[in-house]
Amino acid sequence: MIEVSGLTKVYGSITAVRDLSFRVEKGEIIGFLGPNGAGKSTTMRILTGFTPATSGVAKVAGYHIEDHPIEVKRRVGYMPENVPAYGEMLVSAFLRYVAAVKGVPRGDVGREVGRAMERCGLGDMANRVVRNLSKGYRQRLGLAQALIGNPPVLILDEPTAGLDPKQIIDIRQLIKSLAPEHTVLLSTHILPEVTMVCERVIIINRGQIAAQDTMHNLTGGDSESLEVEALGVSDTITPRLKAIGDVTKVETLGGGRYRVVSPRGKDVRGAIVQALSGSECSLVGIQRKGRTLEDVFVEAVAADRGGVE
Amino acid sequence: MRSTLAVCRRELSSFFTTPVGYVILGTFTAISGLAFALTFIQFCRITVSPADHGYEGIPNLEELMISPYLVFCGQLVMFIGPLITMRLLAEERSRGTMELLLTYPLRDREIIFGKYLASLGIVIAMMTVVSVHMCIVGCYTDVEPAVLWFGMFALFLMSAAFMSLGLFVSALARSPVTAGVLTFAMWFISYVLGTYGKDLPEHLNSPVAWGATVSRGIEFFWGIFRKLVIELPLDRHCEQMAQGIVRPQDIAYYVLFVAFFLFLTFRALESRHWRA
Ligand SMILES: Nc1ncnc2c1ncn2[C@@H]1O[C@H](COP(=O)(O)OP(=O)(O)O)[C@@H](O)[C@H]1O
Ligand SMILES: [Mg+2]
Repeated sequence: MIEVSGLTKVYGSITAVRDLSFRVEKGEIIGFLGPNGAGKSTTMRILTGFTPATSGVAKVAGYHIEDHPIEVKRRVGYMPENVPAYGEMLVSAFLRYVAAVKGVPRGDVGREVGRAMERCGLGDMANRVVRNLSKGYRQRLGLAQALIGNPPVLILDEPTAGLDPKQIIDIRQLIKSLAPEHTVLLSTHILPEVTMVCERVIIINRGQIAAQDTMHNLTGGDSESLEVEALGVSDTITPRLKAIGDVTKVETLGGGRYRVVSPRGKDVRGAIVQALSGSECSLVGIQRKGRTLEDVFVEAVAADRGGVE
Repeated sequence: MRSTLAVCRRELSSFFTTPVGYVILGTFTAISGLAFALTFIQFCRITVSPADHGYEGIPNLEELMISPYLVFCGQLVMFIGPLITMRLLAEERSRGTMELLLTYPLRDREIIFGKYLASLGIVIAMMTVVSVHMCIVGCYTDVEPAVLWFGMFALFLMSAAFMSLGLFVSALARSPVTAGVLTFAMWFISYVLGTYGKDLPEHLNSPVAWGATVSRGIEFFWGIFRKLVIELPLDRHCEQMAQGIVRPQDIAYYVLFVAFFLFLTFRALESRHWRA
């Protein structure tokens, strides 16, 4: 649904996005994760046709953004960061305007606006003035205007920014419910959000992709690892650990610590205790080391800074 | 077409759900009403005793009152105009809604024509006030229809031309205030040029010592400059029309003026593709 290759955006002396390439398939929810200033919003603005790219190609639903901007815009619902809106308008009037501009047939406008408000929990707010909406409802309004016209692709820039925990849960649920029908690209700098909502993550840092994969693969895939601490000579410990049936990999971490990788679901702790119960070495501790997205993120982001700051 | 109207309607609804619209129309009604009452009373005084005011016989109503009043209304529209046009595009930019506008499936022309149409809508609201005044005159005396119709037409053309200039400035500016001040400054320059341009000497004498070629060159450029100063101001081309005399060059001037500034507005909006 979204195809990006070699996308670069230069603002004067700042390169906001550098040689970005990724694909989003139909019906996926993709998380765009990165620290502030990473280039998330810039990428989204290019994908929605708001700013042109300096170089590179971006296609949405098979259409080139530069060549067929209207075709792309018809298929994309966009919720910009901070949700700009016309403060003096009524919520329902604003959404009716959006429907007209997006070319919703005249007779369907009322139903379409009703559907979007319903879906975003704005039902009671129809006759409120946009300016007076609380942050949470303004965010919903942003989502509602993106949903108007039922576009197949949704691009949401930090949809949960500035919300309280309850509102965040609501919005996440809402986004999850969009999934099979819509293709969703959402950006966030909040880690757990991605874990909860997205199937696939693109970690972006300083305008470049630092990692991209499914949640499953990023957090270790089909294997799990244990950190084993043992006293003794590593030359004797390592072969003993490797000799255990289900162990696929052993890494020496130094300081008497070893990482033992085994297939997910196989408990090898008992085997490790037995293997290291000889006289030349003694087991001091075993710890489960699930790789969280946080580890991946910190690794990815820290990589080009030469270590964790 | 529907999108254009939607953009226009939204603009007008914003205009009239905030006090701005009422303040602008109220100011226009008050000032034009005052000017109308004063000129009307003055004219009535003159007709009672023409000799006291230095007229032989009853002077011409259209020439003395209607036409100058309509031209004045045009000046007034242009004076208030920056308040109308400054919001059009600059406000979308300053409150960030430009990001919505430019990511909805709208073509540039739908945005620009929608906005321009909205400004014309307000011009027409103002002209309704003026036409009420004209009806009042019509109740008391016969008015030459040509003066009435072409006068209103001239008022509309002049206002529409000014709105296109304002729209262009609004397309460039980052904030409505900048747009407003710049547009006002342009009106003011045009007004000053229009007022004093006619007094510019026809020939500019240069010292004999500079030689014939130089002085001919100076003469040449002075001629162009003088012509521009006289012909460019917006109010200049409505004086004749407001008296019922229609000259094609006057109409062409306004049509070209609108076309030129709408063209520049397109370029200004498109500039996002190559700027920054
Ligand atoms: N209009 C702009 N002009 C100049 N620099 C910009 C502009 N927009 C963004 N940037 C710069 O580009 C970089 C990426 O910004 P952005 O995409 O907003 O990051 P994110 O959304 O990931 O926080 C930042 O360094 C920012 O300062
Ligand atoms: Mg951002």
